[in-house]
Amino acid sequence: MKSIPRRKFIQGAAMAGGALLLLPDLEAGMLLSNEKSGNYFLKEFGIDEILCRKLLAKALSRGGDFADLYFEFTLSNYLGLEDGKVNQSYGDISLGVGIRTVKGDQIGYGFTQELTEESMLSAAATASTLCNMNATPVSSSFARPKAGNYYPVALDFNGIPAKAKLPVLQSINQKCFALSSEIAKVNAGFSNAVKRVMIVTSDGIMAEDLIPSGFLYASVVAERNGKREQSGWNLGGRRDFSYYTDEVVNQIATTAVNNTLKLFDAIQPPAGEVPVVLGPGVTGILLHEAIGHGMEADFNRKNISTYSTMLGKKVAEPFITIIDDATNMNLAGSINIDDEGIPGKKTILVENGILTSYIHDRISAKHYGVEPTGNGRRQDFQNYPVPRMRNTYMLEGPATPEDVIKQAGNGIYVENVSNGQVKIGEGDFAFYVSQGRMIENGKLTSPIKDVNIMGNGPKMLANITLAANDLEMYYGGAGQCGKSGQGVPVSFGLPTCLVKSLTVGGTQQKGGQS
Amino acid sequence: MSFIKDQQQEFRELADWVIDQTKMAGASDCKVSISKKRAVEINYRDRKPEVIKEATTQGLYLEVFINNRFAGKSTPDFRKSTLAGFITDLIDNAKIMEEDPFRTLPDPKYFAGRSTADLQLADPAHSGLTPEERHAMAKAVEDACLRMGGDKVISVEAGENDESWEDFVKTSNGFEGSSKGTYFQIGASMTAQDEGDRRPAGYHYIGCRYRSDLPALEDVGSKTAKRTLDLMGGKKIETETLPIILENRGVGRVLGGLLNPMSGGSIQQKRSFLADKKGQTFASKLLTVQDDPFIPRGLGSKLYDDDGFPARKRDLILEGKVNEFLIDWYYSRKLGWEPTSGSISNLIIPPGTRSVDDIIKDLGRCILITDYIGGNSNSTTGDFSVGVIGKLYDKGQFVQNVAEMNIADNHLKFWNKLTEVANDPWLYSQLRTPSLVFEGVVVAGI
Repeated sequence: MKSIPRRKFIQGAAMAGGALLLLPDLEAGMLLSNEKSGNYFLKEFGIDEILCRKLLAKALSRGGDFADLYFEFTLSNYLGLEDGKVNQSYGDISLGVGIRTVKGDQIGYGFTQELTEESMLSAAATASTLCNMNATPVSSSFARPKAGNYYPVALDFNGIPAKAKLPVLQSINQKCFALSSEIAKVNAGFSNAVKRVMIVTSDGIMAEDLIPSGFLYASVVAERNGKREQSGWNLGGRRDFSYYTDEVVNQIATTAVNNTLKLFDAIQPPAGEVPVVLGPGVTGILLHEAIGHGMEADFNRKNISTYSTMLGKKVAEPFITIIDDATNMNLAGSINIDDEGIPGKKTILVENGILTSYIHDRISAKHYGVEPTGNGRRQDFQNYPVPRMRNTYMLEGPATPEDVIKQAGNGIYVENVSNGQVKIGEGDFAFYVSQGRMIENGKLTSPIKDVNIMGNGPKMLANITLAANDLEMYYGGAGQCGKSGQGVPVSFGLPTCLVKSLTVGGTQQKGGQS
Repeated sequence: MSFIKDQQQEFRELADWVIDQTKMAGASDCKVSISKKRAVEINYRDRKPEVIKEATTQGLYLEVFINNRFAGKSTPDFRKSTLAGFITDLIDNAKIMEEDPFRTLPDPKYFAGRSTADLQLADPAHSGLTPEERHAMAKAVEDACLRMGGDKVISVEAGENDESWEDFVKTSNGFEGSSKGTYFQIGASMTAQDEGDRRPAGYHYIGCRYRSDLPALEDVGSKTAKRTLDLMGGKKIETETLPIILENRGVGRVLGGLLNPMSGGSIQQKRSFLADKKGQTFASKLLTVQDDPFIPRGLGSKLYDDDGFPARKRDLILEGKVNEFLIDWYYSRKLGWEPTSGSISNLIIPPGTRSVDDIIKDLGRCILITDYIGGNSNSTTGDFSVGVIGKLYDKGQFVQNVAEMNIADNHLKFWNKLTEVANDPWLYSQLRTPSLVFEGVVVAGI
């Protein structure tokens, strides 16, 4: 069966993202995590507390520490422009419930796409097969957690006629072509989803949310003297339709075109170890890969992360503080509640150079005897939650960006990255630099492109020797983190900072020929 | 445990109803795909089940064409009462799309000539697999891995997962197709204690259409441990230009950078560095890439492609020349070319005659690349860069494991450095590639 072509949704993902200032956090305190989300599954599907209790009782009928239900209804849409025409519309409906029984660190999981009592009881029975003991009781009442609202929805995408999105895509196309006569092709796409979830736990949590996500992107091919280059840009996150103003459209088109034209002068740098300066913003993917994954507590409770023995120890210089945060307004990784019903919060991973906390779901929090950090996330109802990052960033340091570049001497400066990967146990990571500059004698010189950079997470963290006062966050919406076969939206941020040494994967040896 | 019964008739009746309703609602043409899948997953860690997961999923995907306007949408809800509204909404979406003269169903003349070969995609034994057998399979893999890993083991996760699926496709202009299949996978990942805080993790997973084609469970477990222990002490070395061998199972990580630019979409959208290379030699004569849809029990085997075109065996790259691009119906019309099929089935690089062990003896100083990290490939320019992990040899003697290193090149140069193809095709993938030897590659390290 062909569902919505996945590539349609992720084709913007390889593009560099936005880099705007971090917006202030919102005070928590709303009764429901999103005011439009209350009682949706009761009204639309008749899922009441009595039924929930019955399903949870079935899931715990053979014992277990706790059980939970994750109801989901998601509508996704994609509109695509190619060769000047908005000529593709794709949509997807996702509806179902995932039922989990947990005993220690063991998981029984069943799910169904049919919200009938019979089907749901069958899924609960599947989850219950994990255990073979006496039944565990279910809480007699459910309380709704207090959570913030980090993505208020005024103009829900589902309430917007698709026709309203066409002029936005046409406008991007026209602007890109108007910006340069060297533009040969423009692809643009509008991807958005509205997810409604309800989480009900056997220990008495009932939480609901309405979660918007998506992005608008432009991808551009330019031609110059028989050479072609391609790049792009996207902006989005947990936004409603009102975000996509003329100003945002202009920013996407201008950045996509500029990014592409810069590449004509780009070279590949020499291979080997050099100082690397990470420019502000999207380069925060480095924190995500090099540090964030290794701090996910499932890897640590299994003792398979390189950070397993580092809690409470010095891992970085004292000016370094790294945060994983659910509470940034409208960022792609923000969550009002996590997928286990825990309110989203800000978690300090490294404070003044000391490793202070892992990233927890309920299972790992119990293992370590700490409160869950609200990082239990899942792709959809077909998957159980695991510890996942949200928005991961480093606080500003004392230097100016110019100081940082000067301090590097000779090395490379990273402007845009497209993807990365980490090996949890070794701590080795890689990220792909789509655009950057050479640094020669403390100054930015030739553009560079298409370079993979390698390093080791703990070593890299210890080798950040300078950070500037210019933190920027990634405001793109196409950032997807993959783990255990599940993708979830994330964001990240970084101030300009200097890593003393990383391996650059060039095509020629330093001082040699290619 | 219940498994999917033969549902072709039920699917056909639903598809006919959807096509009728869609045409009545105003579509010029439409295509409906229906599928159902049952999947089971058992994972073990520390000699107890870590995850037990099981469920059935279904989906209906509908594409509508209204006078060259197009929209597609999927739903898990097969009830006719809700499908009626689903169809109407989709028609409304299509109507507001801009007219694109190339958006049509394929010309039915291209549907003719489909093979009736029995591809053996569904194992009749699948329905007899019991929960107890699944647990036993995962446990056997875990046991063997723990045994071979010995005191170096920090953690082992071993698992069995399997699925059975059935699908049906029909268009309003005369195409109909259906298929059934099964898939079994066993394997494990192991984390070992190395020097300091390094905990190398290795993995070994095997997937087959037939349970009887799975290797011995003990071999899978012990191979996982061996691959993990082979990572111990991995360090980067000085940046060096030397021969490399891409191990068979990982060749796709680099070969993938050649396939994307061969697609009609990349070529028509000017995102292909191979667009003007049809019929030209761009790689070593040792590089031939065949697309063979008829391999019995093959993981990519099929009788028709996404457009409904009959599958056929073909050479995509023949002795270093671009022989055939991947052109689907839509982009064939945009390019004004004949369609060739836009999707691949099983990709084969014909094997050579020598084993990797023999080749290594003759290479002098070389690196066998066994895994990758990060990296990407630019389909417009052909530039690529990817992190590598592997083993350094000198005159056939193992020197050390290497990690945290990188290879980078342009595909138009890199594939000319191919000097030998080994005799060891990897059979547990849609990409049946043997190990490949390249000379003069810059491997970046210190």
